[in-house]
Amino acid sequence: MAAATATILLPAGKVTVTGEADADALWLTPAELAKAGGWEYEPEGLCRGPLCVPVPPAASWVRGLGADLRVDLTGLSRHMGQPVAASPERAVWSIGESAEDLADRLRSLDAPDFTLPDLDGRPHTLSSFRGRKVFLLAWASW
Amino acid sequence: MTVITLALDSAGPAAAGEFIRAARPSHPSLIDTRYEVARAYNMVNVPTAVWIDEEGRIVRPNEMAFADNRWIEYTKFDMTRYLEAVRDWAERGARSAYVLDAKERRRRLQLPTAEHALAAATFRLAEHLHETGHPEAAVAFFKRAQDLQPESWCFKRQAWALTDAETFYGTTFQKEVAALGGRPYYTPLDLGG
Repeated sequence: MAAATATILLPAGKVTVTGEADADALWLTPAELAKAGGWEYEPEGLCRGPLCVPVPPAASWVRGLGADLRVDLTGLSRHMGQPVAASPERAVWSIGESAEDLADRLRSLDAPDFTLPDLDGRPHTLSSFRGRKVFLLAWASW
Repeated sequence: MTVITLALDSAGPAAAGEFIRAARPSHPSLIDTRYEVARAYNMVNVPTAVWIDEEGRIVRPNEMAFADNRWIEYTKFDMTRYLEAVRDWAERGARSAYVLDAKERRRRLQLPTAEHALAAATFRLAEHLHETGHPEAAVAFFKRAQDLQPESWCFKRQAWALTDAETFYGTTFQKEVAALGGRPYYTPLDLGG
């Protein structure tokens, strides 16, 4: 097991954390974990915004106590239904949104919002066009 | 009605820019280098259009949307009929017969599975490896994403475009289309209305 600076690709962007990699597990202190997807270690469990998840007593993705407490980001993410793809050799972990969250959002029929740049780098947000019909067309150069 | 076009392109402006400059669009013409929108809407090919009403509701989910008939051998559909439908919606809004009822919209949604979600995370990893100077390491993850969601032509064609498809993937777009053996390349368009 080696201390590593790891790049975490998240739905909202990417962050760098320091942890210990063990195959595709990435063991982080609570402080580093908070950087990687917003998980805070609270007495009631792991919380992200209003959502708190109790840590099962036999969770294989938590170890140690007090200052030695570490959480495996990969195990926690998978426990939450989030997909993880990792290249430990290159110290990159990609954590996506769960299929359930993606599907729930689509099933609501509310068009998923996004903000993306044009060629000049100017950002445009779908929801800022409320009040008008939007014909959204995806294309590609390939 | 506002048209928003969106280039799905890992290479961003370097790949999509020349087309946007040539088209000189007056509508917002955006670039999605991380395939964020493809993931959120579960788009598996291009061109794909979604109709969104004034309240931000999807009234026609993902469907193949060419502006003309130059690719009719792939589309097998007279796209002038589709353009008429778009114009009808632009004029008549919710009264357009081409606005689908909620039941039909939900029936047509292509909901992502766990494999699709993992494919998207894997594709993102592959894109990152490619752009940070590890193109060969990226290939293995692009292939894994393709295996997880084989119906995504986006994941295939984007990966093939970033490198020499024949060398690294042992295939080409032309070969893959030929291998369809008459099965449609695009999900057939069902205009309704």
